[in-house]
Amino acid sequence: MLLFPTAVPDDLSLPAVAVDRTFGAELVDDARRYERFFYVTWILAQIALLATLWVYARRGAAFTRESSAGPIGTGMLLGMLGLGIAWLVLMPFRIAAHWWERRNDQSDLDYLSWVFADWAVLAAEFVSICIALLIVMGLARWLGERWWLPGAAVFVGIAALFNFVAPYLDYTTDPLRDKALLAAAQRYEGELGLPSIPIRVEKVSADTDQANAYAYGFGPTRRVVFWDTILQEPFSNGEQRVVLAHELAHHSQTHLPEGIGWFALFAVPGAWILMRTTRRRGGMGAPEAIPLALLVVVVFQLVTTPVANTISRRMEAEADWKALQVTRDPKSLEGLMVEFSKTGLGDPDPPVWSQLLLGTHPSLADRVAMARAWAAQSEP
Amino acid sequence: MRDGDLARSRLTVFFRLILAIPHFVWLTLWGIAAFVVAFILWLAVLIEGKAPENLHDFVAGYVRYATHVASYVLLAANPYPGFRGAPGYAIDVEIDPPVRQGRWAGFFRLILALPALLLASALGGGFSSGSPGQSSSVSWSSGGGEHAAWFAVSAGGAASAAAFLAWFAILARGSAPRGLRDLTAFAIGYGAQAGGYLLLLTPRYPTSDPRFAQPYADLPEHPVRIVVTDDLERPRLTVFFRVFLAIPHLVWLMLWSVAAFFAAIAAWFFGLAAGRIPQPLHRFLAAYVRYATHVIAFLYVVGRRFPGFTGRAGAYGIDVEIDPPTNQSRWTMLFRLILALPALILGGALGGVAIVVGFLGWWYALVRGRMPEGLRNLGTSCLRYSAQTYAYLGLLTDRYPYAAPVLEGRPEPIPDPEPVVIIGDAF
Repeated sequence: MLLFPTAVPDDLSLPAVAVDRTFGAELVDDARRYERFFYVTWILAQIALLATLWVYARRGAAFTRESSAGPIGTGMLLGMLGLGIAWLVLMPFRIAAHWWERRNDQSDLDYLSWVFADWAVLAAEFVSICIALLIVMGLARWLGERWWLPGAAVFVGIAALFNFVAPYLDYTTDPLRDKALLAAAQRYEGELGLPSIPIRVEKVSADTDQANAYAYGFGPTRRVVFWDTILQEPFSNGEQRVVLAHELAHHSQTHLPEGIGWFALFAVPGAWILMRTTRRRGGMGAPEAIPLALLVVVVFQLVTTPVANTISRRMEAEADWKALQVTRDPKSLEGLMVEFSKTGLGDPDPPVWSQLLLGTHPSLADRVAMARAWAAQSEP
Repeated sequence: MRDGDLARSRLTVFFRLILAIPHFVWLTLWGIAAFVVAFILWLAVLIEGKAPENLHDFVAGYVRYATHVASYVLLAANPYPGFRGAPGYAIDVEIDPPVRQGRWAGFFRLILALPALLLASALGGGFSSGSPGQSSSVSWSSGGGEHAAWFAVSAGGAASAAAFLAWFAILARGSAPRGLRDLTAFAIGYGAQAGGYLLLLTPRYPTSDPRFAQPYADLPEHPVRIVVTDDLERPRLTVFFRVFLAIPHLVWLMLWSVAAFFAAIAAWFFGLAAGRIPQPLHRFLAAYVRYATHVIAFLYVVGRRFPGFTGRAGAYGIDVEIDPPTNQSRWTMLFRLILALPALILGGALGGVAIVVGFLGWWYALVRGRMPEGLRNLGTSCLRYSAQTYAYLGLLTDRYPYAAPVLEGRPEPIPDPEPVVIIGDAF
């Protein structure tokens, strides 16, 4: 398949990793205890969310009385109210998660700042759902039940456009000034067949000790962004170079455009299912169908999450492999994973179900195993 | 209000603030004493459930005196007030004798009064106090012979903006504009009620309903009118998320404002050439004014329902009627932006009042599931002025916005208005 090739050898066999010995038994225990809380709150939150949206799907149409707007405006109102209700229902779980993060020194964000950030996210979600409903309902009222195909195409186009222009909208990062890392970037770009890609730094150390980096944009807007936490102790220069190579590999392997391609593959059946399930409520052109549509979208996302996570993990594994190829430093990759576990209290070897539903990256143990497999393969 | 005369002495108006200095000094001294006595009143209410009459009269006298001073300073009245706060001044408040009050409401009076004080502050009339005459109501007299009280503590707000504008108008014309005077009097009246409540002169909560201003304040026929068909119910869910629900409208309003700006410029050129603006431009700008009113009404909880995006006439519970285009004076069109400046200043101050209305209304509606009628009507009145201002600025009419906080027009003013008893409703 066009979207499924990978640089990781098909016959690569990952060796077993003794997590207690590699990561330290105490750290593993702490990480498992820390993650277990999130597993429980995640499951409870999903149950609460689905139950709430189910009730809203049955009764939410009553809120059409609260609108003087036309069908699309009323649909926007119902969509926003649905989001708002979901936000309220999930609020206790988010508060609990934030409390847990603070208790385990994973976040320095005070509650007031956290609340403001949460409100800002909600506002952005309200705007997003209004735009989405404007498109879907507009198309549905124009094209009837045939809206789903052009509708999916429009959303794919928006996703591509957003991915492309997002780097231009970035005002929170500064250029990387570490000369050694910049020199390494130049070397890796040459090996990966990439042009010069801007490397930037986002300051997050005031709010968290967790480490992260990401790649975004495509074509001329490609960027790599480091959180400043990863440029500090305890991460070594070698570990920072592995992170850099990993993110550049996302660009060299065109993971972002591939991600949009995958989104298209999900969006088309998703839109079709939405069309079919809302038919009895008058279709997506009718505001009365919006509460049900919200439930359908959430269920669809939940059901497709394991597949989406599998795709994501495959891309991440490929980026790790390419990083090993250009850095030739499996020890640093292994050390990086141990540091990730320490700084983020990530469970090195989480349960299979949690990897299926929540794991966008291979487990830390699997990444260590890949580093060892690469080392074994490269030995003369 | 027992003085309907709008004539003002230019000389005393020019030096008004300086002339009031002795009153400010005396008001401060009396105020210190009044607050000490008010504390004793508070203890008396907690113990006896009722304020002693002599202490009540002392505080009421202070409030009445403060009313006189504020009316004089804010140009709502012309005669130099006396220093004893005796009844009979041109703008006066009537304060009823003491009645029994709830001890809990008395104990928490300072906290309970905060919303009213916030609104009084936005209105700029300070706060005032009246006491019960019958059935423990606060009375604000518009006839002769009654006494009243008022206590000003705030220098900002709508009344101050109105006084600032009235100062220039009086120096130019020798008389106060009726709308500005009525707005100031209304603010002073609300402040009097808020002060009366705070200082335990009455257990009745102040009302901000502009309908109570109508017996003395008149709304002349105007080409831009507010129409209220909304109810007072407010579903809590739509109230809680009100600001967020308004986001798409605010985005759309911003985009529409850009188009309206250029349309207004085009209307200006057409108007100067033809003496009236073309029907399509009038329709477009009228829809914009209506839409802006709908959106702000929704945002400030003055309106119940989620508005439409087109500004269609009659589509919303708080709507604006705008008459068709008529011939306008080219001179007033030429200088429209400059002429609109005073209205924009007052509109800004009333916008502050509307924000406070929205803030208080949001909390109230969240708890009670409905909007207080007085607060809703005050917000509607602010929106009416705003709509008239933008209609004037956008050349939809050459009639100047009318400042008095009234909602429904009446062609002729009442020559000898009767006293009005204000019965407390929340806000």
